[in-house]
Amino acid sequence: MDVRNTADTDLIDRVRETRVGRSIWRTPRRVTPRDRAAAHWSSFLLHIYPVKVRKEELSFQYSWYLGVISTVLFASLAASGVWLMFFFVPSPGQAYTNIQTLQTEVPFGQYLRNVHRWSAHLMVLAVAMHMAKVFYRGAYKAPREFNWVIGVILLVMTLLLSFTGYLLPWDQLAYWAVTVGTEMAAYVPFAGEKVQSILMGGNTVGQATLIRFYVLHVAVLPIFLTIGITFHLWRWRKDSMLDLDRGEPNV
Amino acid sequence: MSEKVVSEESGTTTSVVIGAKSRADATPAFGTPDVLKGRRVLGMVPGKPLAGDRKDPAEDDMVMVFPHLLVRHAVAAMSILLAVLVIAIFFDAPLRAIANPTVTPNPEKAPWYFAALQELLAHFHPLIAGVLIPGAIIMGLVALPYIDRSLFILTSHRKVAVATFTTFMVVWIALTIVGFAFRGPNWGWVWPWQEWHGEL
Repeated sequence: MDVRNTADTDLIDRVRETRVGRSIWRTPRRVTPRDRAAAHWSSFLLHIYPVKVRKEELSFQYSWYLGVISTVLFASLAASGVWLMFFFVPSPGQAYTNIQTLQTEVPFGQYLRNVHRWSAHLMVLAVAMHMAKVFYRGAYKAPREFNWVIGVILLVMTLLLSFTGYLLPWDQLAYWAVTVGTEMAAYVPFAGEKVQSILMGGNTVGQATLIRFYVLHVAVLPIFLTIGITFHLWRWRKDSMLDLDRGEPNV
Repeated sequence: MSEKVVSEESGTTTSVVIGAKSRADATPAFGTPDVLKGRRVLGMVPGKPLAGDRKDPAEDDMVMVFPHLLVRHAVAAMSILLAVLVIAIFFDAPLRAIANPTVTPNPEKAPWYFAALQELLAHFHPLIAGVLIPGAIIMGLVALPYIDRSLFILTSHRKVAVATFTTFMVVWIALTIVGFAFRGPNWGWVWPWQEWHGEL
């Protein structure tokens, strides 16, 4: 069957049929399930998804969509975070006044700071709940053990991202929360003081600490988290082709 | 049992041999599928009727991700985004006085997700509460799938694992709530409806 020039063809189908359209999508005809699978398979935007999933996986009750929710919150944090970077200088002399200016003079400054803050808290919650949901579903069982391990690493990175961001406003809340946190590092056996001074860049929370936390928060940790999420999703897609979660032993 | 390759193109279940040119070529002899000259059989799968042909579709039927899963993910994504955007209208992120190394607030509170650790710190030596316990929790989580190696996935078939995980989770949530909302000056006990010291 040829869909060209039929009355019920959608506009998007007609665009795909053009010479340029075919060069972009490469699989212009969407007639059979096999065509649609081929189109999915060759789509860059959809390449993070498998072509098919078990019907059971569609339901809210299966996953509570916590993985999607965590990812969306991370995207919201990246977007609002990049915007906040335009107004922020990581120095004890300027950081606090930058936040005050942001809240009082920058259009939507307070609002986007709120979005960043609440997305961060919700992301910690969503990632922790995602882990619990995966545990109760038994989805960490062979052969998916290592994706669970990647997930634990992602949880730790989420906590570190949240904690490094906590210092940046340079107010009393930030300063003392980070003081409490870094003092704990001093009790690491044998290398405690070394670990603490590496974290803080000195004996007290100061300029060196702020720049360290800032660079970790806006560059190092987001990059590693992105790589980790990519790996996590890649393994999820590969494993989606396995026949799992039947309520019987996975053999 | 004869091996079959399911073809979805025709919308019905057919037995074909890979490389066959027509339905007539593809009719396999019982148990021994034909292989056309010059073609290689790359694989065989047991025959299984398509979902639409079955009388009662089972939960493990495969469905297309586009649109079935994508539309659900889009709704989940937009819902959580809407929730954040609405919360941000009504609640402002806190900003206290400028950092002052000479004035220690009382109580000093860690962020809420470390409140359980801070609560433990009030009861145990910092080496135990601040280093060994969090280290053991992370290592325990990493090791979990290698310790619990039974292949059963229903919670009713793995009671020990579920009981252990649930116990740790409940204790951790309780410690977090106590550290976050029930602790006041000098880490003393307060009732959150009388004195509020939680910080987000």
